[in-house]
Amino acid sequence: MPKGQESILDLASSVDKKVTVHFNGGRVCTGTLKGYDELVNLVLSDTVEDMGEGEERKLGLIVARGTQVQRVVDEEGREEIENPFDGDDDEDEDE
Amino acid sequence: MSAARLLPLELVDKCIGSSIWVLMKDTNTELTGTLKGFDDFVNMVLEDVTEIRIRDGERKEVKLDSVLLNGNNVAILVPGGAPE
Repeated sequence: MPKGQESILDLASSVDKKVTVHFNGGRVCTGTLKGYDELVNLVLSDTVEDMGEGEERKLGLIVARGTQVQRVVDEEGREEIENPFDGDDDEDEDE
Repeated sequence: MSAARLLPLELVDKCIGSSIWVLMKDTNTELTGTLKGFDDFVNMVLEDVTEIRIRDGERKEVKLDSVLLNGNNVAILVPGGAPE
């Protein structure tokens, strides 16, 4: 009987959800998480690579190498907000 | 309901014998070719390889017969190969 993953990262809850994966070296991809293993190798479907400056390309079904994965972000929990630091009158650095 | 989830290395294994597109950690380097095999570290043997180097918007392609690719810097694998 497999013991299960000794991981602090719970990818099971993100399966079939949209995630954004950041890689060492700067690549960023967004896709639907279809599979993973304990080494954080991932399978994403309908993947789009964000190449910066609004440029994107479709990759489709991919395997992301866990050794190069920097972070996995669940898109559903993500929300862009107003810059909380805008409108500060006194722009003091650390005093 | 136990979901038989898709294991990444199983997907790579299914790709043996067909085209695969490999995106390296360096955003300017990609390879595409026929996957002949791979090991535990995802070092790969590829044949009929096209190496694509992108620099300053310019795309340079080099054709190679047979390649042993060190898996150390492989970031993304796309079964099916690069788009034409």
